[in-house]
Amino acid sequence: MSLLQVDDLHVSVGGEAILKGLSLRVEAGEVHALMGPNGSGKSTLANVLAGRPGYEVTGGAISFKGLPLAQQEPEARAQAGLFLAFQYPVEIPGVSNMEFLKAAQDSHFKANGTAPESPVAFMRRVRTLAESLSLNPEFLKRGVNEGFSGGEKKRNEILQMLLLEPALAVLDETDSGLDIDAMQTVAAGVNRFRNPDNGVLLITHYQRLLNHIVPDFVHVLAEGRIVESGDSKLAETLEERGYAWLAESG
Amino acid sequence: MAGGIGLEALPAPAWLGEAGLARCRRALHSKLARETWKYSPLEKIAQALLEAPRTRQAPFADAPEQVRTRRFSALSTPPELKINLDRYPLAGIAAALAGDGWLAEVTETPRCPLRLAPAPPGVAPPMLLQVAAGCRVEIEEMNAARTPSSPDQKDPLAAQVVLLILERGAEVHWSRAGLAPAATGWFLLAARLGGDASLTFNHQSLAAAFQRLDLCVALHGAGASFRSTGAALAGTGAQLDLQYVIEHIGRRTLSRVQQHCLASGKARCTFNGRIHIHPQAAGADADLSNRNLALSANAEINTKPELEIYNDEVRCAHGATVGRLDDDALFYLQSRGLPAAQAQRLLSIGFLRAGLSGPFAEQAADSFVEQLSAAAGGG
Repeated sequence: MSLLQVDDLHVSVGGEAILKGLSLRVEAGEVHALMGPNGSGKSTLANVLAGRPGYEVTGGAISFKGLPLAQQEPEARAQAGLFLAFQYPVEIPGVSNMEFLKAAQDSHFKANGTAPESPVAFMRRVRTLAESLSLNPEFLKRGVNEGFSGGEKKRNEILQMLLLEPALAVLDETDSGLDIDAMQTVAAGVNRFRNPDNGVLLITHYQRLLNHIVPDFVHVLAEGRIVESGDSKLAETLEERGYAWLAESG
Repeated sequence: MAGGIGLEALPAPAWLGEAGLARCRRALHSKLARETWKYSPLEKIAQALLEAPRTRQAPFADAPEQVRTRRFSALSTPPELKINLDRYPLAGIAAALAGDGWLAEVTETPRCPLRLAPAPPGVAPPMLLQVAAGCRVEIEEMNAARTPSSPDQKDPLAAQVVLLILERGAEVHWSRAGLAPAATGWFLLAARLGGDASLTFNHQSLAAAFQRLDLCVALHGAGASFRSTGAALAGTGAQLDLQYVIEHIGRRTLSRVQQHCLASGKARCTFNGRIHIHPQAAGADADLSNRNLALSANAEINTKPELEIYNDEVRCAHGATVGRLDDDALFYLQSRGLPAAQAQRLLSIGFLRAGLSGPFAEQAADSFVEQLSAAAGGG
């Protein structure tokens, strides 16, 4: 049983077909990088996996840990272990980061029949995680992502991933807007997260993030479907030659 | 009609006089009163006032020695209560019903906050609160949920009129929490500020019945300032009516108003914020913001910021928004495992928190969470 299995997926947004027959398998212990030009459908796949409203699956199937995803609410997907690191994390004034993180973890524990962690142990753990990501623990008292810089928002996404320990993390252009130091910090977080029991789907435009997170597989998405797959060397080829050669060779 | 149910027989209090009371009776039917009370049933409230019991309790619980409290009837001359009776005719009627009133004078800065006694249902005596020059006063007023007199019977209207006078450089911080959703009430605070005086007014409302707050602040002295933050949660059955009038009269006066209202179920929520900048108020600086969130399609929100400016050398901003919960924020929370109902509650309380401040902020936040959870069926 694959961790994630996507078969011949067709997705429309606002009546426009975006994904046109995408197939992909991610097994536990694997890191997949999904690359492609603007508008190829990378973020659409991320949002469909997480269950964002407005994305209509018009064909094909998605299963996560052997169960179909199509009818599941976003929270059920999250509780089952699917995590989406947002390209543009949302600001939520009035809800402190700590309060939000505790609510998120409690919902996971409740869904899985685990007793909630004591607030003291929880706060200690979150502070440690924040420090490991060079995120000032003071930020935990502020509203969710409120007034955070772009890099701080992305590090906050990684913090949530490390806290919730999902089975599959989908990182949607987590490297966008990051300077070199922030990218290394984020990459270190992802490398710390990866283990034989989980998987990562890394969506990115550029090869630079893959210098720090070496993927097992690289896929190229174009026109709504995967047109090329390979190992990490494919990313280097893309960096040298761009995406146009794929259309020429295809 | 209110005019035919005993108003004529009311004796006029000394400070008001027969002519003043007659003016109030007439004003009940005036265009200004109709406009000011557009979203509150003025005649029904007048009727409720006539039917409500009269309360006589002293305004402050355990008033410190720096506060001198006397009944109007004990004064050699009746105090002058400068209230716009054309706009607030009920103030005169309530005072006439109460018969007497309280004068509270703060002559030195009290060592502890003044705690207003919880208002029992009924018509409270009007209060004139005078704060001497340079004094600093904190006022705390908490009306928490109380057990109704009978499960089937609604408590009568609680009505109170307060006139607050701040002399030069006086400073008042007033925190008001109305966390008894079933209570019906009308509260008028009319404040007059001298030079460099400042008034801060924080209030939190939890409403599931008729509740009206009239706040009328006159910034007379140069450099006087008024700041207000408020958060209100109106549930099914609520007719929450917040009416602010801020008069910038002196030079370099400043006002800041931030009001957040959340309406759920079949609530009706009204906010009217009027800023009036007088011709002599050069350098006035006013900013009024009212943000509203409707949680249900049946909720009704009325918001009306008004500006009247008679001086060019001023800064004045106002804004009102009515919206729903942000879909992106909702999805973000759900994508972290929070069920939709919990995510909605978290966003709702986050919205209200922006209007919470003062000593009752946490208690109000807890009450809001409790109310939102109960409305959603728990969980």
